[in-house]
Amino acid sequence: MSDSNSAIRLSVIVPVGARHTDVRELYAEYRMGLERLRTPYELIFVVDGPHRDVLGGLESIIDAAESNLVVVALNKSFGESTAIMAGFERARGELIMTLPAYHQVDPQDLGKLLAVLDDKDVAIGWRWPRAGGVLERARRALFHRFVGAVSGMRLHDLGCGARAMKRVVLEELSLYGDQHRLLAVLADRKGFKVAEVELRQSGRDHFEGVYRPREYAHLVLDVFTVFFLVRFTKKPLRFFGMLGASMFGLGALLVLYLVFERLVFGDSLADRPALILSALVVVLGLQLFALGLLAELIIFTHARHIKDYQGAEIIHYPQAGVPRPLREARPGKTAVS
Amino acid sequence: MIEAPKLSVIVPFFNEEENVGPLYDALVAALDPLGLAYELVLVDDGSGDATLARLHHLARNDSRVVLVRFRRNCGQTAAMAAGIETARGEVLVTMDGDLQNDPADIGMLLGRIEAGFDIVVGWRFNRQDKLVSRKIPSRIANRLIGRVTGVPIHDNGCSLKAYRASLIKHIPLYSEMHRFIPAMASIAAPRIAEIKVRHHARRFGKSKYGLSRVYKVLLDLLVIKTLASFAARPLLWFATLALPILLAGTGLLVSALLDSLLTGSAPSLPLAGCGLIFLTAAFMLLCSGALGELVYHLGDMRDHQFARLTQQLRAHTVTVETQAQ
Repeated sequence: MSDSNSAIRLSVIVPVGARHTDVRELYAEYRMGLERLRTPYELIFVVDGPHRDVLGGLESIIDAAESNLVVVALNKSFGESTAIMAGFERARGELIMTLPAYHQVDPQDLGKLLAVLDDKDVAIGWRWPRAGGVLERARRALFHRFVGAVSGMRLHDLGCGARAMKRVVLEELSLYGDQHRLLAVLADRKGFKVAEVELRQSGRDHFEGVYRPREYAHLVLDVFTVFFLVRFTKKPLRFFGMLGASMFGLGALLVLYLVFERLVFGDSLADRPALILSALVVVLGLQLFALGLLAELIIFTHARHIKDYQGAEIIHYPQAGVPRPLREARPGKTAVS
Repeated sequence: MIEAPKLSVIVPFFNEEENVGPLYDALVAALDPLGLAYELVLVDDGSGDATLARLHHLARNDSRVVLVRFRRNCGQTAAMAAGIETARGEVLVTMDGDLQNDPADIGMLLGRIEAGFDIVVGWRFNRQDKLVSRKIPSRIANRLIGRVTGVPIHDNGCSLKAYRASLIKHIPLYSEMHRFIPAMASIAAPRIAEIKVRHHARRFGKSKYGLSRVYKVLLDLLVIKTLASFAARPLLWFATLALPILLAGTGLLVSALLDSLLTGSAPSLPLAGCGLIFLTAAFMLLCSGALGELVYHLGDMRDHQFARLTQQLRAHTVTVETQAQ
C-alpha cells in the first residue's frame, strides 16, 4: 500500500500460537479487510514457537514481495502476551491492532474497531451475535459475570483476540503471562478509556471439542488475577491479614474447645487427631499474616516507585509570564475561560 | 519564572469548576504580599467537568502555575502525592480546592515553619460542616488516631497544612493516607505545630466525603502502626513471633518422646505431630524474617534516612566574622 515506512499509521499484530488456521488464507482475508480502511498499515505476524507450517506459509507470502509484512519468529512458545509485545517492539504505527490467528471475527468489521479510537484509548472486540450452545453460553456468561463483579466493568468477550489501541497503551502496560485476555481491565486501571465494539462473528469461528479442565483453570486464574490486581495490590495486609486472622481465630477456638473437653470430660488431649488439625489451622493463620506483612513491607519500602496514580501529565508554561496584580486586572476578564 | 520557588502551594481538584477561578484569585491575593517566589501546583484528579479547561487556562497565562493532570480519578491521596512530587519549593502547603480553606492563612503557616517546625497543621476550630455526618465522626476518628500514633492533633482531616519539603517528599503516601500525613510522618519524629485556621462553608459544588472513609482510615492506621514498629527490624520482629512457637513445639515433641521412652509404647502421634508442625512454623517464620530483612535492605525506606530528615545539628562552629565596611 505505502512504500515509505514513516507513513505507517496502523500496526496489526497477529500472534500465532498453537491454535491457528492456514496463514495464507488468514493473511489474504485480513489484508482484504485492512485495505478497506484506507490507512497505511503493516502486518506483523509473530510466530510463537516452532510452527513449521506457519513459517513456511509466511515465507511464501514474503516472497511475493509484500513490503508491509513483518514476520517475527520465536524459537519457543512464550505465550500470547509475550508474542504481542515482541510484535509491538517492531511496530511503527501510532495505532496498534491485534488480531487472532484463526477466524474469529469478520474482517469487514475491522474499521469499527479503529473508529472507536477517535475518543477512546482501547477498543475490545465483542463477537456479537454469537453462535454457541446453551451450555457454552452459560459458561461464558458466568465467567464474565465474575470478572464484572470483581473489576466493576461490564465486559462480554474477553476471549476475542481482535483489539485496537493507541500506542501509548501498550507502552505503559507491558503485558506478560496471560494478561492479553485482561487487557481491558488492566488498561482501565491505568486510566485509559476502554470501549467494547460489537463485531460480527466469522462464519468459521467454531470450536469443536470439549473444554478441558485446563481451560477452566485458566478462567478461574483470570478472575483471581483481576481480583488481586484490582483490590489488593496496594493493601496486601488487608487481604492476607483478614484471612490469617480468621484462620488463627478458628484454630484458637478449636484448641479452646479441646482443652475444655479435656478439663470437663477428661477426654485425653494427646491422642486426638483434632489436636493436629487445630495446630495446623493456627499455624496457617500465622503464616498468612506473616505473608501479608512481608507484602506490605515490599509496598512500603518501594512506595515511591509504585505509584497510585498513573500517567500524570505535567503542564507548565514557563514562558507565560506573571500576570499583573489582581487590582489592576483587566476588567471583565476573569481567570475563567 | 527563572528562580526556584521557595513556596509551593498544592491544590487537588476534582470536579470543582466553579471554585477554580475564585481560588486562584484568592491564592494570588494572599501570596503576592508575602514577597517570596512561589508556585501553584494544581492537580486535576480526572475531573469530568470544565475544571481541567479552566486550570489549563490559568497555566497558560501564569508561569507560576504548574498543572498536573490525571487521566482518571485516582483519589485525593494520589493527587496530593503527585503534587508533592512535582513541587519544587522548600516549603509545601497543601489545601483543598473547594474554597473551604482560606489562602489568607498560608502566611501564618509559613511563620511557624520558619520558627523551626517541620509540619504545621491547620485546625478548623470553627468548622462549617454538618454536625452528625461530618463533625462527630471526625472528632472520634481524630481522638483514635491521636491515641494510636501518639500525635494528638485535633483535626487530621484539615487539608491546610505546611511541610518542610525535605521531610514530606520522603514519606510514602498511598491509599487514604493524606488525611494523616502527620501520623505517617511520625516515623521520622518531626516537630509538629497546630494552628487554628479559618473555615468557610462550601459555596460551590458538592462535598465528596462521607462516613464510609472512617473505616478505611482506621485500617490504614493500624497498618502504618504495625509497619512503623516492624519495618526496620523484620528479623527481630518475626523471631519474637517465632520464639513461643518454637518453645511450644520443642516442648510437645520432647514430652511425646519422653512419654514413649518411659512407658515403652510408641510416641503419641497427635502430640508429636503438633510439635513438628509448630517447629516447622517457627522455622518458616524465621525465614520470613530473613526475607523481610532482604526486602528492607533493597528498599528505599530506611530508618537512618528518617533520622536524617528531622535531626537537629548542634556543633561548636567557629564563625568568621567579616566586617562590611
